[in-house]
Amino acid sequence: MKRYVYINDDNLAKDIYCDNRISNRKYTILNFLPKNLWEQFSRFMNQYFLLIACLQLWSLITPVNPASTWGPLILIFAVSSSKEAWDDYNRYLLDKKANEKEIWIVRQGIRKLIQAQDICIGNIVWLRENDEVPCDLLLLGTADPQGFCYVETAALDGETDLKTRSIPSACMGIDVDLLHKIKGVIECPSPNKDIRRFDANMRLFPPFLDNDIFPLTIKNTLLQSCYLRNTEWACGVAVYTGNQTKLGMCRGIAEPKLTAVDAMIDKLTGAVFVFQIVVVIVLGIAGNVFKDKQGRKLWYVQYPKEGPWYELLVIPLRFELLCSIMIPISIKVSLDLAKSLYAKFIDWDVEMVDPETGIRSNAANQAISEDLGQVEYILTDKTGTLTENKMIFKRCCISGRFYGNESGDALTDAQLLNAASTGSADVILFLKVMAICNTVIPVRSKSGTISYKALSQDEEALVCASARLRMVLENKNGNILDINFNASPMQYEVLDTLEFTSDRKRMSVVVRECQSGELFILSKGADETILPLTYSGQQVRTFAEAVEQYAQMGLRTLCLAWRKLEEDEYQEWTSMFKEANSTLVDRERRVAEVCQRLERDFEILGVAAIEDRLQEGVPETIEILRKAGINFWMLTGDKMSTAIQIALSCNFVSPEPKGQILIIDGKTEDEVCRSLDRVLLTTRITESESKQDVAFVVDGWALEIALKHYRKPFTELAILSRTAICCRVTPSQKAQLVELLKLCDYRTLAIGDGGNDVRMIQQADIGVGISGREGLQAARAADYSIGKFRFLKRLILVHGRYSYNRTAFLSQYSFYKSFLICFIQIFFSFISGVSGTSLFNTVSLMAYNVFYTSVPVLFSVLDKDLSERTVMQHPQILFDCQSGRLLNPSTFAGWFGRSLFHAIVVFVITIHSYAFEKSVMEEVAMVAVSGCIWLQAFVVALETNSFTIFQHLAIWGNLVGFYAINWIVSSIPTSGMYTIMFRLCEQPSYWITMILIVATGMCPVLALKYLRYTYRPSRINLLQQSERLGGPILSSGIIEPKSRSSLDKDIPTDSVYEPLLSESPSATRRSAGPTQRLDSVQSQSPPHSTHTRKDN
Amino acid sequence: MNSGTPSSSAAGAGSADSIAPRRNSKRPKYSRFTQQELPACKPILTPKWVIGTFLLVSVIFIPIGVVSLFASRDVVEIVDRYETECIPETLRNDKVGFIQSDRSKTCQRTLRVPKNMKQPIYVYYQLDNFYQNHRRYVKSRSDQQLRNNGSLQDTGPCKPEDNTAGGPIVPCGLIAWSLFNDTYGFTRNNQQLDVNKKGISWKSDREHKFGKNVFPRNFQSGTLKGGATLNPNVSLSEQEDLIVWMRTAALPTFRKLYGKIEVDLQRDDLINVTLENNYNTYSFSGKKKLVLSTTSWLGGKNDFVGIAYLTVGGLCFFLALVFLLIYLIKPRQLGDPSYLSWNRNPSGH
Repeated sequence: MKRYVYINDDNLAKDIYCDNRISNRKYTILNFLPKNLWEQFSRFMNQYFLLIACLQLWSLITPVNPASTWGPLILIFAVSSSKEAWDDYNRYLLDKKANEKEIWIVRQGIRKLIQAQDICIGNIVWLRENDEVPCDLLLLGTADPQGFCYVETAALDGETDLKTRSIPSACMGIDVDLLHKIKGVIECPSPNKDIRRFDANMRLFPPFLDNDIFPLTIKNTLLQSCYLRNTEWACGVAVYTGNQTKLGMCRGIAEPKLTAVDAMIDKLTGAVFVFQIVVVIVLGIAGNVFKDKQGRKLWYVQYPKEGPWYELLVIPLRFELLCSIMIPISIKVSLDLAKSLYAKFIDWDVEMVDPETGIRSNAANQAISEDLGQVEYILTDKTGTLTENKMIFKRCCISGRFYGNESGDALTDAQLLNAASTGSADVILFLKVMAICNTVIPVRSKSGTISYKALSQDEEALVCASARLRMVLENKNGNILDINFNASPMQYEVLDTLEFTSDRKRMSVVVRECQSGELFILSKGADETILPLTYSGQQVRTFAEAVEQYAQMGLRTLCLAWRKLEEDEYQEWTSMFKEANSTLVDRERRVAEVCQRLERDFEILGVAAIEDRLQEGVPETIEILRKAGINFWMLTGDKMSTAIQIALSCNFVSPEPKGQILIIDGKTEDEVCRSLDRVLLTTRITESESKQDVAFVVDGWALEIALKHYRKPFTELAILSRTAICCRVTPSQKAQLVELLKLCDYRTLAIGDGGNDVRMIQQADIGVGISGREGLQAARAADYSIGKFRFLKRLILVHGRYSYNRTAFLSQYSFYKSFLICFIQIFFSFISGVSGTSLFNTVSLMAYNVFYTSVPVLFSVLDKDLSERTVMQHPQILFDCQSGRLLNPSTFAGWFGRSLFHAIVVFVITIHSYAFEKSVMEEVAMVAVSGCIWLQAFVVALETNSFTIFQHLAIWGNLVGFYAINWIVSSIPTSGMYTIMFRLCEQPSYWITMILIVATGMCPVLALKYLRYTYRPSRINLLQQSERLGGPILSSGIIEPKSRSSLDKDIPTDSVYEPLLSESPSATRRSAGPTQRLDSVQSQSPPHSTHTRKDN
Repeated sequence: MNSGTPSSSAAGAGSADSIAPRRNSKRPKYSRFTQQELPACKPILTPKWVIGTFLLVSVIFIPIGVVSLFASRDVVEIVDRYETECIPETLRNDKVGFIQSDRSKTCQRTLRVPKNMKQPIYVYYQLDNFYQNHRRYVKSRSDQQLRNNGSLQDTGPCKPEDNTAGGPIVPCGLIAWSLFNDTYGFTRNNQQLDVNKKGISWKSDREHKFGKNVFPRNFQSGTLKGGATLNPNVSLSEQEDLIVWMRTAALPTFRKLYGKIEVDLQRDDLINVTLENNYNTYSFSGKKKLVLSTTSWLGGKNDFVGIAYLTVGGLCFFLALVFLLIYLIKPRQLGDPSYLSWNRNPSGH
């Protein structure tokens, strides 16, 4: 599909394309209610509650006033839809502001001021300096005579450096006045979201130029939401407008991520639902049987002889309504509130503020904090994530001579300085390539110092280094570069730039030396893409060795090369290049092909080595997280030796005697297969000994083959091995690896900083972006953004762990209290003729769920089971979260048992102490409710690990609130509860009953908890004890590589003594990796033949 | 033109500054709440505390239990089950037929007072197996109608006892319709024992739930006769039997106050009861009992609370002892890090 834009044609475009009205709104006033309701009701829980609420409208079956469900339901819906409405209204205001902004455009040849929303395709838009671009424009003219302008694209891609944009060559030199009258047609692709490409053509109508077609690229565009900088004015023709701009197309609603905890809660809810149905069926049948056997004899009930056809359904439906409280309506609201507070805690954390830049941590996704505590795999990018991405030129090798080897810094190497000042030809050429072969923009400040704006940190490092070596890039004026070498100026004209792409892994420029008129191609790139392009005679061995040597030091290497060009060779090539550049289809590949024709027969000048220092605290962070049982994979685009070196220096792999690095390589399927088998065999054997720390290394090519043809063994290897280093991988491979681990049911966290990590970040369960020097693209796509890698340990161990623990308690407690009251209702039905009478009145039921029991537990979001310091000292404690020991069917069964026990306690004590003459419905009901409230207050208190003032207020204040509310209700004469609560509170027997209920309910729970706590303590308990008794907190500090098989072995032995209480640990969410016993393997050949890398 | 050489550090710092986006540039506000550093009390379950708690509970509970039990034992209670005895022996195989017939249902019972009973002595009737809490029954009333003279027509929930041909029934509904109608008369040594039937209902009910100007209408005038009839000239707020009856019971066994005897009864007094056995509990084999009882600060005779307190107290004492023994025999240092699994030598065990 193509789009034809007629420049400056007011009549044509209006109807075909949309205007420039931006709308980010989800709703309109008319469709808000239906659409929002529809969205809310697409969730199972809401459907369930709606069904219950509707059933309650049928007065024959409703046990209580429908308000008990409708009230909370409407409240919950109102809260979430007013939140949505408020957000949408704010979006509308922003849209309105953008739409009504006044913009200069050309209409009928005259400049006019109109609102931004009235811009049509084909209109010419004029912008001044610092204006925001209102829609996607094709640049036609600028104030700059060379046709350049600068834009800031931070809002679009997060990159904060200024980018140059130029007018198409066709418009070069057109007078400002003539620009008002320019006519032409632009052929461009249909609106799409690719902000890096704009493959289009333009043809101007006479009298401007002949019918020549001019290629257009993204370089000729001004995209919506960018800012015009350092340019007095610019004008362009609107090509995409409104929501069809590149930015508009990029906007998408991210798929909501579901945490493991949420999935578990959903599963448990499903189980509860099934249980509820069973209860309903059983009670329904019992009720109908009772009715026929007994009920008809109860003359005072006056059952009609013949009921309507639905008579059999009435009792089951009544019980369905009675039991509907089993699924707590408040859980979603409570969890949402808690989650947003977790996110706020992350935002607020001062310890996660980058002291250098002041960047705060930010939780963009509020809903997945618990997952942080359950991470099992971390996939990390290397550059900019583990390292600072602050490139510094450190060493080089020019024509076989190594510089910087002694001092460790080539810039202070006297030999190199000497060579530069004396003008050694090789060195000068090398420096020239460093200074010219790049896309750096020098910016001269008022004081006269030059700073460089560069997209690539490598280029900036090279240009800065060459400046220190007296080859200063002083000015870039259009195509003309001013170089100053040893105080003698030189000028070069850049004719063509053969850009860097991740496939080509090199970039080249074609330049003409202005004085001599000679043509050169200067090139720099990764060794494997440059070294094969040498002319036939050159020895590349020394360069290859240099690359190898530098890589082993963990340095990044770039090979620099050049070639002289003949005029006619260039002329012939440049026309092909132009043609390739103007293709609309598959432009990138065709351009790469054409580039290849020129990039040959190079003379290698040397190798530049650039250091990228590790970020502060990276090794410690990785060590702590590895101790916590998290497996690390490093996915990097760098070469293998650099990657391994970095891995060793940041504790990815233990040093030699303990650690072992196995390499999977090979160019063909067979080689890869054999290599993979060998590595797998070794891994299995070392894994069974579980003393060794095995890591495997794979490069992008082998990975491609392994993923395609040997997925199964590779998956097994991935499960067995704690560490992996994948080098030379592409962004899509990174995402594939995440997918692979997710398929094995592991919780993955991907962390990265650059655009190439975005896919992996979006793919992973949790994406963490580092707001780094490569821009904010990763941080924007991520769920969490942090300033430095070292904050990851706090994010996971502190925030993730607390969130998981708190949610585990909060959710199970919500079910506990609902079960408690529901069981009492069920028990009561057995003494009320199985007829489905509700013991509790509407007010109590409604307030119980929404108010009395929700408030105290909400403050458990402040609970801390262990201090942050203890967790940091014993990161192994994260295990309990990873394996889901605090929330799983077995802990849930514990809470279920507890609620059953407490329901029995409350019910039995109530009906016995309020028997005979005291057996007044309203009083019995209030005694039972008070019993529940007292019990739950003590349950929350018992399960709270640390009481802050808020918890005390919430727990005990809630009791006061309970009585206050009931006294108020009891003083309303028309309410059914009139005087009840006053009467009760005057009776000594009421208070005696309360004390009895609390003691009977809590003593066994306390005793069990105490026994477990003292004699079968969980790890958390042990640490709590040692932390709070001030005992010795020792940690042997040995990284014990825990094999999954041993972890799985632990679980059943632990679960024996876990009948009632919360922390039972038989979480077997993990689909235990293939743990086929290795006897068969060991009988085979010993693993000496494996490719074992000895690392220095 | 050739001024100072650009330095990489300057460029670095410049770009770093510009990277920091506006929204993130301000430091988060520091407070102990936002940093989750609120001072907190972190109790742990040490043996001292737990054993102490259990001992304390038992120390408190056992006396309360003893006191409650004594209070309950002090209550003197006479219970007489009469629903079978009050039917002539010949007719006992068709009790329902008897109760629905027009025969005289007067019946004489003699009660012996086991202990001295201080006035006031409460007279209750107890019904067993009577589901006042049945779903159809418990809702079958109109509080509006009972309270207001103007809400005669408010008989919505009262079906099927809502209307007759002559208009709405007041009080409507199954509860009122099935009003208990056995009556008791007491004599001691041939002397009439007065039963005070004033003030047996809740004051709040008389004043606010049952209207002074609401009078029975069309009551028990339908085809199906339920329980007692009401004097149409007495306002509902004075029909205390009805008010008591309409405080529905939560359990199928319940007692309702019939009246108060305001003289002391002596030990071994014989009390003759003349009762009208009108109420039909036979169709559903319910029991009827007449209960005379004194009261204590805990209410009527009910050993449950005392026994429960003693049990819980004893159990807590027992648990405290057991915990103490375990603690002494097998002391265990809390928080010993050698128990941490990762500090354990996996092969050592």
